[in-house]
Amino acid sequence: MSEQWRLLLTGGNTAFVNMAVDRAILVTHSEGKVPPTVRFYSWVPPAISIGYFQSLTEEVDIDACKKFGVDYVRRITGGGAVFHDKELTYSIVISEMHSSIPKNILKSYARICNALIRGLQELGIRGTYAPINDIVVDGKKISGNAQTRKINTVLQHGTILLDVDVDKMFSLLKVPNEKIKDKMITDVKQRVTSLHHVLDTSIGFDQVAAAMKTGFEDEFRVTLVEGTLTDEEIMHAKRFEKEYFSSFHWNHRR
Amino acid sequence: MLSRSIYKVPQGKLLKISLTYDENTNMISQVRITGDFFAYPEEAIELLEKELKNSVLEREYLIKKIRSIIKKYNIQFIGIDAEGLTQAIVMCKP
Repeated sequence: MSEQWRLLLTGGNTAFVNMAVDRAILVTHSEGKVPPTVRFYSWVPPAISIGYFQSLTEEVDIDACKKFGVDYVRRITGGGAVFHDKELTYSIVISEMHSSIPKNILKSYARICNALIRGLQELGIRGTYAPINDIVVDGKKISGNAQTRKINTVLQHGTILLDVDVDKMFSLLKVPNEKIKDKMITDVKQRVTSLHHVLDTSIGFDQVAAAMKTGFEDEFRVTLVEGTLTDEEIMHAKRFEKEYFSSFHWNHRR
Repeated sequence: MLSRSIYKVPQGKLLKISLTYDENTNMISQVRITGDFFAYPEEAIELLEKELKNSVLEREYLIKKIRSIIKKYNIQFIGIDAEGLTQAIVMCKP
């Protein structure tokens, strides 16, 4: 019988809750209290997340976010700014010691991304891992990923774009040089794609989640069993939401 | 003097440096390293920034210093490296 991991389908939540839940699972799993966990989720309202090392005010147009009702949050993972709107977001939390997780960080990105690539295959799409942290289809980015390792535990989260609105994204992000903004928008439109674009039809979150579930099961040879957050995870998440992800201090720390 | 730089590490990520230094003594008083890179553990970036205070703003010195800090704290960078960091910091000097 294959190993059983937990599957969480937590639906749409605020940016602050989403980042708090990922961290809560990390902490709880590190204490051996919950199995390796794969979570699929979305962002309500839409939100910008920035990498741990990014400057909030240099990357995000906070006034524009307020105007459009878009949240913003600093992640505990590195990487770049992401506009989370029409997408499936996943996270996986698993011990660094687990035999399925390469010790080498880049190799572990590749391994986890391979689960997503298998998921894309389920949808009839051929994706390829593009180091450091992307998955591309026909050379265009469809997925970005970011990993942290804390308390001997790996947390990787990332996106699969269901649809993309580059103009809206750039109305919320700051660019280093306003003079080249139009060119950057054109470049990004050429370099980014979505399931909607590739399949030439819109596809729902649930269908993509089902495909990705199969992708993770096939890649790691496990069974994902749907579960819920434990009371302890909910308690941790509430604390992390308050003390970190919704706080001015955390989001403006760089 | 406050100075900034933006540097894309070849085949890597973007580094944005905000640097305060004394033009007369060529000493760094504060450095802030931001960007879309990865570092493990993440908190080490704050240690790196702290250790770079009072360093000489000079390429050879900085690269040795950054390499020694990376070793000291066992930092693993992805998307940037000691050379890229040094280049981005030195670029702040006109």
